[in-house]
Parts: sequence; structure tokens; C-alpha cells
Amino acid sequence: MFKFHKRSLWIASGCLVPFLNLFAPSFLSLSGVGPSWAVLWLLPGGLIYGSTSGVVAGICLGLSLDGISLGGASHIPALVGLGYWWGRLGRRGRPIEQSFILGLLALIGTFFLGFSLWAQTLFLQYLEIGLVINYWGLHTLLAQAIITGLLAPMICSWLLLLWRRRFSL
Amino acid sequence: MGSNPLVAISRFRFWRRIGPSLLLIGAFGLIRLSKGALFSEIYALLTRPFWPGTSQKEWIQSGAYFEYQTRISLLEKDNKRLREMLSLERSSNSFSISAAVISRQPKGWWQQLELGKGSLDGIDEGDAVLGPGGLLGTIYSVTPKTSRVRLLTSPGSRIGVWISRNKRHGILIGMGTNRPQLRFLDTDTKALPGDVVSTSPASTLMPPNLPVGVIQSVDNEALPAPNAFVQLTASPEAIDWVQVQEK
Repeated sequence: MFKFHKRSLWIASGCLVPFLNLFAPSFLSLSGVGPSWAVLWLLPGGLIYGSTSGVVAGICLGLSLDGISLGGASHIPALVGLGYWWGRLGRRGRPIEQSFILGLLALIGTFFLGFSLWAQTLFLQYLEIGLVINYWGLHTLLAQAIITGLLAPMICSWLLLLWRRRFSL
Repeated sequence: MGSNPLVAISRFRFWRRIGPSLLLIGAFGLIRLSKGALFSEIYALLTRPFWPGTSQKEWIQSGAYFEYQTRISLLEKDNKRLREMLSLERSSNSFSISAAVISRQPKGWWQQLELGKGSLDGIDEGDAVLGPGGLLGTIYSVTPKTSRVRLLTSPGSRIGVWISRNKRHGILIGMGTNRPQLRFLDTDTKALPGDVVSTSPASTLMPPNLPVGVIQSVDNEALPAPNAFVQLTASPEAIDWVQVQEK
């Protein structure tokens, strides 16, 4: 059963993700692009709470992030995929705790999310104004993946520790 | 005929299991439909003590004076031309509202600003947003106390513009890069690098003759119509106050 009391801290902290996106601290950015807070929150949560919770969290987070952005491309498909993948990964074998693995998973996740948004934007541009060849998304994709991958070992390790302790209570 | 209690119990368990998730998704769906109004309002409330002071507002107002000089000369030419051609008079005595920038994302997947004033202050969707130097973007959505700006550089941004020197019209399209693309409506553009681009007097969506940018390069061979890249004159990256101009 979906036990809310065990996930209350995770759900409450998830509500902070849209605010972090709006706050967009400039000291935590690379070439003007900030980290993907959604990935940094979803990764430890998915690893601890499983794929069902990961998918539900992906939908809820995607809906709220779509709400505070300009529309067009949606976060939901990529976040649902990542929630499911990380949920499955967390339930197989030994718990993932190593900083390098967390950084790598966050890097791959941010690439996946970025590619999804870029592809949707290009597709919508193609429908509206015809074929547009430009590489504007590459800069955002690389900068966001690098800064998220660098922050993940610090932030995700701490969140894993915090939430795992509460989940096992 | 009475219902099977086992079936009723299994149904109850099923809804008990998925009910909270559906409720959660429904709640976030409502947030999505309101375009994140709840998050924007709470964010505005929490960050209000840290909003930028008025010193930059005064600086913007003095900068706006020089911008108005350019606009007045463009408007006079425009008025004269219209009077001669159609005896048509188009008013641009729009009302301006100063608003603080409370969140900015000039780079990334979306290029947007969040302003600390909304529909209660008279801001509407589609209003023009100006910074020192010229047009920054348009209002995409409003909540009672906040509003969201789609920058001219953002994918999906499209406004009607013209080059006043040769009276050639086009559509300025945001491409996600620093330089939006100007797609001309005529095949014979006669546009040159350095030409000033301003909002089109033929547009019904935007006040006329707001300065937008300067043409950086022109491709006359492009199909189906020639295009150009425009360097914007207003930069959203360091600005703390903007002027919102009603349609």
C-alpha cells in the first residue's frame, strides 16, 4: 500500500523543487544554466521508494514544472521514465550509495530529460515554422548535465541518507 | 440480489491503494491547469523582502527617456505616413506599469522572467514588456500578483516587426539563442546589417514602433523568404525592473 507517512518528507520536499526552479540561484549555475532540481530530487526518491512511487512522483513533478514554464515541451514523459528506471534500479541488488554512481545516474538522467525537452521543442518548431537547424539546445544540455552530475554526489547522498532512515522506521 | 462481500472488500482495497496517488496526481493536475499560479504566488510572497530596490527603477526611467526620443521620431514618421495614405490615426498612448523581476531564466530550455505584479495591477496576457533599450518580450500568463514573461529569444515567441528605413515587414521568431530570427514577408528586403528593427505599426497585438534590435546579418537567398538575425537592444540578464505596456 502507498504509505503516506513513510513518504511524507519526500513529498513535502518535492514541493520545494518548483521554488528552486523559480529561485534559480546564479552561484549554482554553469554558463548561465542551473542544475536540474527535478533530477536531484527524483533520483534518491526513486531509488528508495520503488518504481510505482517513482512514476507517480514523475507525473506530479512534471505537472508542476510544466505549470511554471512557458508550455510547449513537457517534463512528464522523461520524468516518468526516469522515476520508473530508478525505482527498478533501487529494488535490485545492493542499495546504490556510491557518490560516483549517483553522479553518473544524475548525469544520464539530465541528458535524458534534456534530450526529451529539446526533441519536443524542435518538433513543435517544425510544426509551426518549418525545419529549423540550430544547436541551441546542446549548450543547455551539456551545461545542465555537468552541473547536475557534479551536485548529485553531495545532494543525493544526503537525501538518500535522510529518506532511507525515515523509510526504514 | 446482494453484492458479494469479497468483491466489495477487494474493490475497497484497490481504491485504498491507488486513491492517494490519484488524488496527488489530480492536485498537481490542477496546479498545471492554473499555470503554476499557486507556486508563483507563494514564491512572490516568500521573496518579497528581497525584491530589488527602486534605484534601478529610477535609472530605467532616465534610460527610458532616451528611448522615448527615438520612439517619438518613429511615431511621427509613422503617423504622417498613415495620415497621408489612409487618414488613419493609431493611438499609442499606452499606460505603463513598473514591475520588479522576481525570477529570471534567460538561458535554459525556456527563456522567461517572473514579475512581481499581476492582474490586480492591470497586467494582461499579451502586454509588451520593456527594459532599458527596448522590447524584452510579452506577458505569457498572469496570476493576481505575479506575471510570466516570454522573452523574445524563447522558442515559440513570434511578434510582427518592421524596418522603418525601408518599410519592410517580417516576423521575429525566438529560436532559443541570443539572436532571434527575422523572417521577411517580402522577397525583396533591401535590409542591411545595422538596420533598426521595431514593432510593426500594422500589428494589432503589440504597441507600434517599440525598439527591438539591430540587424546583424541578412540571408537574401533563404527560402521560402529571406531572413536575418537580430541582435536585441535590451538584455534581460541583469535587469531588476521592467515596464509593462498595455496593448
